[in-house]
Amino acid sequence: MINKHYLYILSSAVILLSGCEAQGDYPGLEYAPQMYHSVPYEPLTQITDREDGEWLSSLDDNVGEFYNSNPNNAYAMNVRIPAANTIRRNTDRYSAGGHFETNPELVLPYNIPADSLDYASRVLKNPLAATEDVVGQGQVLYATFCYPCHGGNGLGDGPVGKVYKGVPAFNAGRYKEMTEGHIFHVITYGQGRMNPYASQVSIEDRWKIVEYVQTLQNQ
Amino acid sequence: MFKKRPDFRNLLHLTIRPLLTGLFLLSLIFTAFAQTDTTATAAQGGTDAAGGAATDGAATDGATPAAGAAGIPTSDEAIAAGATVFNANCTVCHAINSQVVGPALKGVTERRPLPWLLKFIHNSQDVVKSGDSYAVNLFNKFNKTVMPPFTSLSEDQIKSVLGYIQSESNKAAAPAQAAAGDGTATDGQQAGGGGAAVGGISSQYFTIILVGLIIVLVLILLVLILIISVMSRFLNQRTDLDEEDRESINRTTNYRKIVTSTPFIGIIIFIFLSIAVKVGLDGLYSIGVQQGYMPKQPIAYSHELHAGKYEIPCQYCHTGVMKSKSANIPSANICMNCHQQIKTESPEIQKIYAAIDFNPETQTYGNNKKPIQWVRVHNLPDLVYFNHAQHVKVGGLECQTCHGPIQEMPVVYQYSKLTMGWCINCHRETQVNAKGNAYYDKLLELHEASNPNEPMTVASIGGLECSKCHY
Repeated sequence: MINKHYLYILSSAVILLSGCEAQGDYPGLEYAPQMYHSVPYEPLTQITDREDGEWLSSLDDNVGEFYNSNPNNAYAMNVRIPAANTIRRNTDRYSAGGHFETNPELVLPYNIPADSLDYASRVLKNPLAATEDVVGQGQVLYATFCYPCHGGNGLGDGPVGKVYKGVPAFNAGRYKEMTEGHIFHVITYGQGRMNPYASQVSIEDRWKIVEYVQTLQNQ
Repeated sequence: MFKKRPDFRNLLHLTIRPLLTGLFLLSLIFTAFAQTDTTATAAQGGTDAAGGAATDGAATDGATPAAGAAGIPTSDEAIAAGATVFNANCTVCHAINSQVVGPALKGVTERRPLPWLLKFIHNSQDVVKSGDSYAVNLFNKFNKTVMPPFTSLSEDQIKSVLGYIQSESNKAAAPAQAAAGDGTATDGQQAGGGGAAVGGISSQYFTIILVGLIIVLVLILLVLILIISVMSRFLNQRTDLDEEDRESINRTTNYRKIVTSTPFIGIIIFIFLSIAVKVGLDGLYSIGVQQGYMPKQPIAYSHELHAGKYEIPCQYCHTGVMKSKSANIPSANICMNCHQQIKTESPEIQKIYAAIDFNPETQTYGNNKKPIQWVRVHNLPDLVYFNHAQHVKVGGLECQTCHGPIQEMPVVYQYSKLTMGWCINCHRETQVNAKGNAYYDKLLELHEASNPNEPMTVASIGGLECSKCHY
């Protein structure tokens, strides 16, 4: 009889435990759930249900342990877009002179308006020197952000570009004559079917890409 | 004894022969299908090639009569030169048969007179400003998109481009007339569809063959059972058998005895217990481990398509991965980099449009924007610190090392365990790439002074310290 009882207990335990595993929409059983859920606002997380996790809440704040969203933001999001025209931290560089300095041209917001492509192509100059290092970094950035459409050699034959259509080759026709300011302006604001990349690529990275694209123009 | 032997041998023959004939027939069927398959594709290839040749012929024929009138060059050299100029300057915004940024150019040489075309291509804004009604309408229809002036092109060059457009227009028109619904594929997509259809049919045949095979095998089994019963009845009727043979013919298995025997029950209990313990332990170890979590996302985005087929690098969308703790979920404007133009009709893309209040027809944005609520897949407990930039930029790890074959996942799931043991194991095994990184110079020196024979792993520079990850 005792044997039988053990058997029952064992099988029910097995059935219960096999339900702990994560699959499909079920993330699995959390061990010590207080430790999973952040008390401070956590970016890329949002739990808007104020009751969630109330059963193990030890704080006297009338909200559940898992509640994590910022009621002061739109849609109670925890992530925010940086305030316009602000400069993020750590933009300064250790210079050869032995002190930290900031190159304003690489940091300050780009102010030439979108419709002034001609002006930008005439006036803008690349603040970075075309050293091997900068061109190399530009190539890495190009492979990340430009390759899908423009292709490895800038011939407009990337895997997406073939489907997307209308991608020019950098080394032909008037694209060969594009100035560095022109390229920078187009990356920032887009042109034709190309959309702006200012949100994905920082100003400094854009100038590095410009350096690399100029090597593709002359191939 | 000797007398009976032939009987058993007969039995053997009787069982083997149908089997062999069945196999032979099957192999025949297989080879027959294989042959018809190859002939079918070959035939298709033949018609394709023939179709292509036919359209080419029609195009060159068609080009000659339409040529002379407008003063546009029709010689092969001029068209070839025009093609080069066209591909270098125009393809960004124009295609022959479809509207890209500007209008489709098919038949433009018939729509507009040559002097107007020359002027417009030379400097479109001059024509618009002069108040030409066609140009103004065109300008407004395309949302006042400015066609840049092509002052660098000579008149002859523009004419050769027009010659190229004219010959391409005729080429495009010819198959439309000639095709007459016989499915001759002119563009790649249709040809691909044909190929897929051929593949589908052959796989259908395979299921039919499989079902046939099963039916044949069942029939063989029935025949064998029949043979056994006939044989044993026949042998039972014989009187010249001794006791031993009779027993062997009429032998039956006592299943009840086997099932209730102690060894059998012992084995069953052992198997049950081992499975139970295994499942139980696995269940215990899966508490707090979210490996295999595969939530349904609000928009059915496929990494297999974007990262796999179209080779879009992970960092293109997950822009934070080199710079910050989080890799980031891309904002909708990154989707719109392509999907402003591509697959605008898809219901999944319409969900993006709804979220950002975008009207694909007028290409304008409204003010009723709301965030897309993606479901987070990977979530480390709050007690542990993990930084993407540290691992990807400094450590040079591939995304796939932890996230698995993302480029093959239509729906993303958690590939790795993300347990502490899993982290520690990697820290113990991974060597630090100290080359060209001055930060590691001193550490390397210290490490080589104390452990000259071992490589410098993450663990040997403090990768196992509690406070490295727990704060």
